[in-house]
Amino acid sequence: MKLEEYKKIVNKNSGKEDKFKNVFISFIIGGFMGLLCQMFCTFLNKEIGIKIEDASMYTTIMLIVVSSIFTGFGFFDKVVSFAKCGLIVPTTGFAHAMTSAAMDHKSEGIIKGIGSNMFKLAGSIIIYGIIVAFFLALIKGVI
Amino acid sequence: MIYLSAFIICGTICAIGQIILENSNFTPGHLNTILVVVGATLSFFGLYEPIINWGGAGATIPITNFGHLLFKGAYEGFINEGFTGLIKSLFTLGQVGVTVSIIMSFLVAVCTKPKH
Repeated sequence: MKLEEYKKIVNKNSGKEDKFKNVFISFIIGGFMGLLCQMFCTFLNKEIGIKIEDASMYTTIMLIVVSSIFTGFGFFDKVVSFAKCGLIVPTTGFAHAMTSAAMDHKSEGIIKGIGSNMFKLAGSIIIYGIIVAFFLALIKGVI
Repeated sequence: MIYLSAFIICGTICAIGQIILENSNFTPGHLNTILVVVGATLSFFGLYEPIINWGGAGATIPITNFGHLLFKGAYEGFINEGFTGLIKSLFTLGQVGVTVSIIMSFLVAVCTKPKH
């Protein structure tokens, strides 16, 4: 069978997901994530008296801790398959990628499994962030 | 009022990510890498700081903020100490998320059994 025919058959039979609905769901879920985090941030700032920058730092830490623990219990994947980008784009997705990579390779041992595979999915985020930030800062600083 | 703008900003970034995912065959890993690069680029043009001032936590929790923090740390270091400062302080602001993620994912991976 030719490749083009195969592609046609795949396109015909793969289920059509409603694109607009997915975008709408991610907008709503992502929006509520932002809203909740803003409430948490304001709470830390007003009630406890932490500086606003530190408060947003603690908000990020809270998100990472919560999503790592949820990934450990195994129901973060189900939530992501419903919420889509609403949970991938916030820092939860980053923590989820690292935790699930570490959990998947746990059977290979602590050093060769967890240690060397932890950044398997999330490594590209850090690497390209550093490369781009380094060169852009160099350019802006020199100019 | 800040709650509404946080909702709009975070929702918009997530919706843009979903649009990119729908119209290409990228994985979430590709998407997050692109968004970090976009965040650093926005920060390069000085556009990300106003977004944070307007959207509050809605702009600091998406992964774009990681790129912004990396760029901000590197640029502030460059202003203070030149090239030495750039290398020394590229990670100073952005390392919080990475540190906590490493510790948490290690603890979770050690303490749990993966289900198959």
